[in-house]
Amino acid sequence: MSAPDKVTINKLPTGVPGLDEIVGGGLPEFSFNIIAGAPGSGKTTLAHQFVFANATPERPALYFTVLGESAIKMLRYQQQYTFFDPAKLPDSIRFINLSQVVLEKDLGAVLEEITREVEKANPAVVVVDSFRTMVRKPQSDMDLQSFIQRLALFLASWQATTFLIGEYAEDELRDNPIFTVADGLFWLRQTTERNSIVRKLQIIKLRGQASVPGLHTFRITDAGVQAFSRTFGLVGHLKDPPSHRRLSFGIPELDKMLGGGVRQGDSVLVAGSSGTGKSVLATQFIAEGIRQGEPGIVAVFEERPQAYAERAESLGLDLETPQKDGKLEILYLRPLDLSVDETMHSILDAVQKIGAKRLVIDSLAGFEMALSPGFRADFRESLYRMIFALTGIGVTILSTVEVDESFTEFPFSTYSISFLTDDIIRLRYVSIDGQLRKIMVVIKMRGGNHAKDIREYEITDKGVVILGKRLTEFQGLISGIPVRSSRIAQQEKFSGDPTIKDRT
Amino acid sequence: MATPPRMRYLARYLLTYEGMSAKSSESMESATLCVYEKLRQSLSAFAGVAAFESLAFRALTQAKSEAPSLWAVQIAADGSLHGLGEFEPQIDIDKDLAGEGGTILIDRLLGLLLIFLGEALTLSLLRLAWPGAALDDCNSENGRKV
Repeated sequence: MSAPDKVTINKLPTGVPGLDEIVGGGLPEFSFNIIAGAPGSGKTTLAHQFVFANATPERPALYFTVLGESAIKMLRYQQQYTFFDPAKLPDSIRFINLSQVVLEKDLGAVLEEITREVEKANPAVVVVDSFRTMVRKPQSDMDLQSFIQRLALFLASWQATTFLIGEYAEDELRDNPIFTVADGLFWLRQTTERNSIVRKLQIIKLRGQASVPGLHTFRITDAGVQAFSRTFGLVGHLKDPPSHRRLSFGIPELDKMLGGGVRQGDSVLVAGSSGTGKSVLATQFIAEGIRQGEPGIVAVFEERPQAYAERAESLGLDLETPQKDGKLEILYLRPLDLSVDETMHSILDAVQKIGAKRLVIDSLAGFEMALSPGFRADFRESLYRMIFALTGIGVTILSTVEVDESFTEFPFSTYSISFLTDDIIRLRYVSIDGQLRKIMVVIKMRGGNHAKDIREYEITDKGVVILGKRLTEFQGLISGIPVRSSRIAQQEKFSGDPTIKDRT
Repeated sequence: MATPPRMRYLARYLLTYEGMSAKSSESMESATLCVYEKLRQSLSAFAGVAAFESLAFRALTQAKSEAPSLWAVQIAADGSLHGLGEFEPQIDIDKDLAGEGGTILIDRLLGLLLIFLGEALTLSLLRLAWPGAALDDCNSENGRKV
């Protein structure tokens, strides 16, 4: 069949933020869908959101309730969600209870009742909540599979998009003939991980269009179900071509070490132990961006935005004004049970809102600690997706990470995440002449050459200041306990001056 | 527990509406039965017979404590109302006040809907049962929105 002859399947908004992207742009019109999951997993709320998003007086939604929760009780709770618009009842959304038919008659009678109501109302949307309760009743003339098949056929003919809601456990998914009838199968999971609840959504099946595979985090808030796609809402965004532009730190000597600055769209890791100035460097990076007209986002996990801005002020960096001007947003992300996908959603919202070009994540350790324990196992994988998605749209990311200071090793990070980064700047303490000084080295730059120099730096009231030239007079600096090179020791012996001459 | 004045006003309005739209000679009891039956049909279809029956039973229990004329009234399993207009022989009830029991029962039923569903959804359900009634106008007292 040639392209123009193909039928066009309209995609209906799901009414669930984030879900349209997951299902591939919207739910196929006239599709017959099953929402399955354990009690309390959000099935009814999801169905309500779809109903409220699509029902009109001309093409209303029929919401059939069967056994279990009464519509009065259900609506008492559902109306608390912000998507619930009471003005849509009864013209656009009608609730019909079938419990009497189910209790007194059989599935054939239920089908007849649904048929009668559908013929009368000509609905665009039909929901049966919950069809599973009908299975538990001993059937007579018609079995459930036959009921589902006939219902699916009838509702598709009547051009209705349908949701059947059912309580199912994980192990019931396999070899269940009912699921073969459905065009779409949505599985909602809710698991307990230590003291946290982790909710995940999977589109097990969706005919006619490509959905995003995998498990997607979702949350139930005052606004109802909110889904967080594994692709972070960036499907369809063209990946920016690699940029040759270099972004400055506002520290000329560091820019030189980086071969002119960080390449735009890179992911930079600043690793060092506590007090080495990782956050200071990150603040200078974001402040320089703002100075150059590049809006920025700072995601902080270990201190409040106000404290972060005040600390920047002590370095002579004004983060208050750009926040007021909409050029900077400092996100404090520390709710309980946070998922990477939700964090990403917050960051993306902020990136899109202010057109951010630079992003600081301060720090990865804080980020991980803010996550629900259940999400921590996936931290590296989630981080990879997040960094890949954001750098793909041209955002330059600087992440800080604390590493345990060792005087025998020189680890890049305790998270083994260096493969996620294009560039690594390592900060560390060294013991020299009875002082604990700081050195900096660029370990890696994926996008080009960088200086191999090990440079000493200080943190002053102007931020990170790189001192002098490379430290040529010591060996073993990266061990933290350097020894004076034999050549310098020889010179000192003759001059009697143990100080380093070329320090400026 | 007293229901808000606007529910009693609404109950009176519905009873008057049914009394007027039916035969003016019909008694208050038949107006009550008429209003109750419409509520039963509408709410049973919406929430199920069992849900309506339990709600009606609760409303009747509350109303009986306020209106002795409802002494003989009972709710059947299908939610229908029986015994309205039958009076306890020992109690001397003013016939003018007898009809007030129906108002109280409907008032209590609407009050429960208000508690469980809120005003907006309650009015939506009533609009379904009384498509022709000016419920929005009657939701104000003395021209003032209540």
